[in-house]
Amino acid sequence: MNALWPYLGMLLVILLIYLWERKNPAAVTRFEENVIATLMALITAVSFVQVIARYGFNTGWGGALEFTRILFAWLILFGMSYALKINAHLGVDAFIQMLPRNAFRYVALFGALCCFLYATILISATWLEFFGANSKGGAVDYWSKTYKLGIGLDDLRYPEWMQQSFGLQERVQRWIAYLILPIGLGLFGFRALQAMGAIWRGEKQLIIAGHEAEELVAENKDILKD
Amino acid sequence: MESVILFVMVLTLLFLGVPVAVSLGLSSILVIAFFSSDSMSSVALQLFTASQNYTLLAIPFFILASAFMSTGGVAKRIIRFAIATVGHFRGGLAMASVLACMLFAALSGSSPATVVAIGTIAIAAMRQVGYSKEFAAGLIANAGTLGILIPPSIVMVVYAAATNVSVGRMFLAGVIPGLVAGLMLMIAIYVVARIKNLPSEPWRGFGEILQGGKEAGWGLFLIIIILGGIYGGVFTPTEAAAVAAVYSFFIAIFIYRDMGPMAGVRWIQESDSKSARIGFSSLVYAVAIFFVWMILSFFATSEMQGVTFEGRALAGLGISLAILVTYSMLRDKGSNPMHIPGYLAASLPVWKRNLGLMGRNFLAAFFNPDTRKVMVDASKTTIMLMFIIVNALLFAHVLTSERIPDAITAVMLDYGFTWFTFLIAVNILLLIGGQFMEPSGLLLIVAPVVFPIAMQLGVDPIHLGIIMVVNMEIGMITPPIGLNLFVTAGITGMSLVKVVKAAMPFVAVLFLFLIMVTYIPIMSTWLPTLLMGPEIVTR
Repeated sequence: MNALWPYLGMLLVILLIYLWERKNPAAVTRFEENVIATLMALITAVSFVQVIARYGFNTGWGGALEFTRILFAWLILFGMSYALKINAHLGVDAFIQMLPRNAFRYVALFGALCCFLYATILISATWLEFFGANSKGGAVDYWSKTYKLGIGLDDLRYPEWMQQSFGLQERVQRWIAYLILPIGLGLFGFRALQAMGAIWRGEKQLIIAGHEAEELVAENKDILKD
Repeated sequence: MESVILFVMVLTLLFLGVPVAVSLGLSSILVIAFFSSDSMSSVALQLFTASQNYTLLAIPFFILASAFMSTGGVAKRIIRFAIATVGHFRGGLAMASVLACMLFAALSGSSPATVVAIGTIAIAAMRQVGYSKEFAAGLIANAGTLGILIPPSIVMVVYAAATNVSVGRMFLAGVIPGLVAGLMLMIAIYVVARIKNLPSEPWRGFGEILQGGKEAGWGLFLIIIILGGIYGGVFTPTEAAAVAAVYSFFIAIFIYRDMGPMAGVRWIQESDSKSARIGFSSLVYAVAIFFVWMILSFFATSEMQGVTFEGRALAGLGISLAILVTYSMLRDKGSNPMHIPGYLAASLPVWKRNLGLMGRNFLAAFFNPDTRKVMVDASKTTIMLMFIIVNALLFAHVLTSERIPDAITAVMLDYGFTWFTFLIAVNILLLIGGQFMEPSGLLLIVAPVVFPIAMQLGVDPIHLGIIMVVNMEIGMITPPIGLNLFVTAGITGMSLVKVVKAAMPFVAVLFLFLIMVTYIPIMSTWLPTLLMGPEIVTR
């Protein structure tokens, strides 16, 4: 337990989202959607421009590949909490649907609890030692290490003018790319907790979608019914 | 011991309704935490590195391209083209639906999207001319599964990423099986149509095929960009996918105008004079042919010496000039070449209007509710799929580090499995698994176990991939969890049991197809070997 402040920072982000959501839940959803849509658009645009630049004009940006790959990771790791919020994660619901109502609720609660455990273990596994595990570290620990070391990414460099006017190092620090690990996992754990509360209060039934096209079907429900 | 715990834990969590991704991920990290000395930091890092896999980066692009292409208008144009082509056979409308599904599959790579886009139009049309609802629904549910077999296919990208085979080869390997599966369905329809005396559409002539093809061509050119780009050795699959995504955005917003700021505005207004139309059309053909020529010749000659950009452009200009003159002469009553400048001049206002419209709406094309919705939907699908894939990769990593595949390989070889019996086992395993799992996730779990055994037994990796994909297809139309069944039941308002019954006869056809694919390897390996040379198996 070398430093607590990264954990506190992660909690602060969650707290901010929580408070904002209490004031204006629609705005948070819109924000989340904008973030994932923007990431997606950026990945596509950069890749496309890179293809044109390389094959059409024999030039290109050396950091493009690493940049798009990092954004891709950001899209997934940021988006996983949003997907949990809107119940978009796939699961097998055929068997638990057969359970009686009360048992069904506890099983649904268990599902959300598993998501919470998943996030907390990955954030830090140190607490598992209490149960006899021999694993240390976790996402936050790893992030702190890269932050302290300050090593740069492989290809992604700051532009010249930024290096000069702000006295930055040549390469973009690795910890900036890895920021999404604690934040994404933290938000995932937070959404899992929220889901547990909602299931307990009876506002939500399940955290999973039975199949990937639920929304598509809902949009086109019974179009061809007689 | 660890392996038993791992498998039992995954299955228990799965059936208790824990999200698939979390079932895989949580089981893996618990096993790592309790049974290995790996630190959790390295596992977290793995989560990050798995999320930035370059091969898998093609997936969001294909999803995006498919989302733009799934707007209603594209499906309508494809169906029109399909009806013009095969509609006049006995049972023609049903055959046309299959053909439309095949073409649409080549644009979208997603089965449920194919069912909804083609199904909503085709089922209604089939019922109108007297097909039973069951027949139509069962047919579409089956034909929709071709989405993952006909390239581009997301499942194939996942298989390629899991086993390090080339995505390009996998795509190419899917072409012939995809055509064969479509043909088999059509033959089945023809037989049924003969027996039940199903109706046929009137033959509308080659003009209608040409007209339909022209309309659908803008969309279908996407396939050429993807396949041509990969096999011309020009693009990597990921790059081809990125180009496809941008191309489909451009086509949907600016050319087809099914969505976005220009939705519903036609290129040619009623008020335009006849000569303006002729001039406009001839110029459109000329410009379009020029670009098609430039792209195709770029793909074809990228590795040739002595072909310059200027040379290709000059040849392209010549071709498009010839097209322009020929078209105008054909449409002109007197076939007088002297009229051509007049036509072109008359078309200028049409060009001005359309280009002005596009210029004014250029920024709005990126920032409008329609585009945003497509982007958000595509990102959602990407996230959901990739979260499963990332965790399945984590799971596969634990499997390999516990040396489980080696152990299973040894056991299987001890029992005297040959490639023949082994493939039966693979089929059964996948058919059962496909009932419960999403295709990409299942593939990532099964591939690391099955792949080394297959290599030991001398099964071709590409062939194995196609077998797996066909199994996933069948998993989509067999209960209890068949994605296409849910979708078909959803849009038709029929009960699930009814859809299952309706789909049965065609499922039998696909089973026959599975047996063919399994034991005729050349069906999958011939085309990739022909175009890309013999493959080198490095293990």
